[in-house]
Amino acid sequence: MLSFLNELKAPITNGLLLGGLYGIIGIGLSMIFGIVRMVNLAHGDLVILASYLSLVTMTFFPISPLLTLIVVIPVMALIGFIVQYCLLNRVLGKGMNPPLLVAFGLSIILQNLLLLVFTPDARTLMTSISVKTISLGSFLNIPLVYLVDFIVSLITIALLSRFFNRTYMGKAIRAASDDEGAAQLMGINTRTIYSFAMGIATGTAAIAGVLVGMTFTFYPHTGPEYLIIAFGVVIVGGLGSLLGTFLGGLILGLAQILGAHFLGAGFQLLCGYLILLIVLTFKPTGLFAKG
Amino acid sequence: MELLRSRRFIGIILILLGLIALPYWASRYWILLVLLFSLNLALSQMWNLLAGYSGLISLGQQAFIGLGGYALAVFSVYYGFPIWLSIILGGTVSVLFALLISAPIFRMRGVYFAIGTWTVAETLRILFSNWKYVGYGMGLFVKPTYALSFNTIYFTALGAGVASVALVYFLLRSKLGLGLMAIRDEETASETLGVDIFRCKLCCFLISAGVTGAVSGVMYLHHIFIQPYSAFGIDWTVQMVFITIIGGIGTIEGPIIGSFLYVFLHQWLSEYPNVSLLILGSIAIGAILIAPKGIMGTVQEKLGFEFLSPRRK
Repeated sequence: MLSFLNELKAPITNGLLLGGLYGIIGIGLSMIFGIVRMVNLAHGDLVILASYLSLVTMTFFPISPLLTLIVVIPVMALIGFIVQYCLLNRVLGKGMNPPLLVAFGLSIILQNLLLLVFTPDARTLMTSISVKTISLGSFLNIPLVYLVDFIVSLITIALLSRFFNRTYMGKAIRAASDDEGAAQLMGINTRTIYSFAMGIATGTAAIAGVLVGMTFTFYPHTGPEYLIIAFGVVIVGGLGSLLGTFLGGLILGLAQILGAHFLGAGFQLLCGYLILLIVLTFKPTGLFAKG
Repeated sequence: MELLRSRRFIGIILILLGLIALPYWASRYWILLVLLFSLNLALSQMWNLLAGYSGLISLGQQAFIGLGGYALAVFSVYYGFPIWLSIILGGTVSVLFALLISAPIFRMRGVYFAIGTWTVAETLRILFSNWKYVGYGMGLFVKPTYALSFNTIYFTALGAGVASVALVYFLLRSKLGLGLMAIRDEETASETLGVDIFRCKLCCFLISAGVTGAVSGVMYLHHIFIQPYSAFGIDWTVQMVFITIIGGIGTIEGPIIGSFLYVFLHQWLSEYPNVSLLILGSIAIGAILIAPKGIMGTVQEKLGFEFLSPRRK
């Protein structure tokens, strides 16, 4: 029994750390789902777009991928703001399907744009962090990049939580999401607020994209894979709380790594999907949903 | 009115006769175009039945494409079944699978349903690419189709296209169709009047799964080679969505016009393969912003013209 647990120590640690990364991938989707009440089907592609933007920045300035965030976050936030302001706001309030389909079209456009510019080759954000491992105690080695992912995610979620609770903009976003009509009566321009919310969400996608690029290889077509992961995180964690989304990420990451450990690497994604389907079936509101 | 309808009927018959006679007068290129048109029409008409008439936005139709194609390959290659039987078995397998997943999938609504169906398809993709029996990710050759002539495949595809339109037309004029339209207009009221919402939607889901699976079999007669990454890829559903949105969601004519435009755009853009999907994506977004009801929906609204009306006059 003890040796069995000992053997599982590495996959559990790795799963939890990977889960931190999944949390940050899911947080942007969760925000838009909760605030604007639409599913941004292009979220995964926005994450990958950020990976490529970081790659471009690195070719101009030979700096660490983490430092490229200074450029990538504002650019992505601007893209998100414009997309919401010019495209998605125009189809809001016309039922569920139009926003879903516009985002779907956007996802196709982004994928093919990336394919056109960057060719289908596999890319990665090379950094010395990617290959190092650190040992915790004498018996456990973990990849340094996983630890970096986890810490950056945790910091981002803490900052976001502060933003939503302390600042005027954060409160206005929450007001617009709670009751659009009442928020408008209080003098909040909800459409502009939605655009800012999307800007912040794509900002988190920028962080996710850089971390993903440091951790895994990426192609123009990997976006949908991360969309499903993000959706899994949102479903498992439930809407309405940042912490729930983070915990959802941890559960999904753990499920994937343990699945890969017991069934073989080919089944890593499968275990994530199965968890997602099980939660969708039995508790579609998520495990940690408020109310 | 009666005269107009009989003229319309004659028009349909003439077009059909022209298409049936196509192999005897047109070049192979045109036959191929009509073949692709018919297959796209059949597939997108089934997505239209789900999304346009039942309010079920499925992003997982590729699950049935893959199942239908693999059923054709496995039954005809491994077991030596006749090709036509294998295609029908493909449809049956799809219906059974749809029935199996309907229990969990129908607990989801709206967006959850969309992502749920997509996740199911992705799960199948991973299962098939890890399954030794179907040759892992390497795929299978549907060798028995070499025995078929190009014209046979053409007639089958044309039949599938026409049958899908006829099926949706008669389905919508049946009791089920009336129920569906009542649900679409006012869900709660229709339920209190005795429409069994779950059964109506399940029926549509099963029909669309079965037809998609069988049509996929016909399609793989043409493609010959099946591989999990492409067979279970989201691209199939992307295509159906484009066709239905541009043509007009929730109209029978929509997918016909959409497939027509799609096939021609696709041929025209095939000279620029890099940007073809880019342009199609932009057109789809433009269509949703400018004419959310698509070409046919806008025409109906403005001119009141309907070619194949599901309404009883």
